[in-house]
Amino acid sequence: MKKALAWGCLIPARRSLIGYEAATRKVLEHLNIETIDIPNETCCAPFWMQSLDLTTSIAMAARNLAKAEEMGLDLLTPCSGCFHSYKRVNHVLETYPDMREKVDDILKSVGLKYEGTVEARHIVDFLYTDIGADELQRNSTRDLSGIKIGLRYGCHMLKPHELLNIEYSERPTFADELIEQFGINSVQYAGRHRCCGGLLRGVQDDVADRILHERLVDANDAGVDGIVTVCSLCHLQHDMGQRSIKRKFGMEDIDLPVLHFPQILALGFGYSPEELGLDYHTVKTDKLVAKLMGGGRR
Amino acid sequence: MEQSDKRAYRGDFPVRDKDVQASFKYDVADMVGGEGLLRCLKCGACSGGCPVGSVIDYRPRKVLGNVLLGLRDEVLSSDQIWLCAACFTCEERCVQQVNFTDVVTVLRNMASREGNAAPGYVKMAEMVQANGRVSARTGLVDKMREQLGLPPLQDPDVDQLQGIMKAAGLDDVLAANKKKEVESE
Repeated sequence: MKKALAWGCLIPARRSLIGYEAATRKVLEHLNIETIDIPNETCCAPFWMQSLDLTTSIAMAARNLAKAEEMGLDLLTPCSGCFHSYKRVNHVLETYPDMREKVDDILKSVGLKYEGTVEARHIVDFLYTDIGADELQRNSTRDLSGIKIGLRYGCHMLKPHELLNIEYSERPTFADELIEQFGINSVQYAGRHRCCGGLLRGVQDDVADRILHERLVDANDAGVDGIVTVCSLCHLQHDMGQRSIKRKFGMEDIDLPVLHFPQILALGFGYSPEELGLDYHTVKTDKLVAKLMGGGRR
Repeated sequence: MEQSDKRAYRGDFPVRDKDVQASFKYDVADMVGGEGLLRCLKCGACSGGCPVGSVIDYRPRKVLGNVLLGLRDEVLSSDQIWLCAACFTCEERCVQQVNFTDVVTVLRNMASREGNAAPGYVKMAEMVQANGRVSARTGLVDKMREQLGLPPLQDPDVDQLQGIMKAAGLDDVLAANKKKEVESE
């Protein structure tokens, strides 16, 4: 059961994302899942880096996989971008022998070797498939019913499903099932599975704004108390980006707190909002948290 | 996007022989991830689900069409290949497994080698090269981590990462883009 954990670049180093790490550590500890951080983890070279050079990116991602392989462990990650990169490494190395040769040589030049034996898992899929919703239900100590949230799976945990080997991607329900164990009302609404524009941030900012604007309108129209995101880029977009969208599109009345998926689980297990970094998000989470805590103990 | 901006990704029509490089599609199909291109029926399922296409006049089918036509220079030097948000919806829905997102990666790799990478991504790559991660470490976040009882942030193995980037050829790509940037100033 022991897993190597890859946190990614953003989650441990950004103010509004460290709550993701804090909550994930609490959830794993609570469920007695032993993990060990990848030593001196480096950038996983996700899609934007693959845009510059695919060969380099595969070799960069293989570095962390090689470290997991040295430890004899499979890899677990809460970052959807990392998950996508690591799945791609194995796929590319298996499908293209020339590429494997090239990547082997590159790794060899820095004293590394990767055989391709490490399986990368996304933490949400791992919790659903290996741990199970029932186990979360058994550990639930706080009733979170009475709130209505919009759950965003994000793109890179799901698509393309042939590569990622995860439940059919267009209408998934597995992550909803997990948070429904705590009584949460996770609503279906238009646009919840559509792209947030996160990867265009810093490259095509106007387009990224327009896409995010559509997503915020979708969630707001659905009348949710808040948004819950799995992907760290979705969180950066919806949480940090919300203020500028308000200004740019004149949506002054919009106020949607954005929580990280494992924060909901950890709250359900009885941890306090302060322990989970909920104070560090850009959009204030107080009102939603007060409503969440109103249900009392189970 | 204003209507007058359409030309930026629509290009000049009609297409002239002098702008066409017929072998271009085979060059793309020869690369890792590009092999699906030649299966494209131009049905437009990719455009129908595109989240970028729902906010501006951007159509993945149009990009594929331009590549299949052989408009090499236009495709590789314009914004049209840098507008994909990599949501993989088109890849998921394509009946012919063209894998548009992977084809775009091939096109972007070609453009990057010529110094035409999106400046934002080049900046991010330089950040990774210097720090080992795309987000720099700050004292503020270090303090917040401590408050949450998180272990101190690990330092990435920058030397190893720089070694990989050099051996794999990313340094050359970054240099080509640097050179282009200087030339255009």
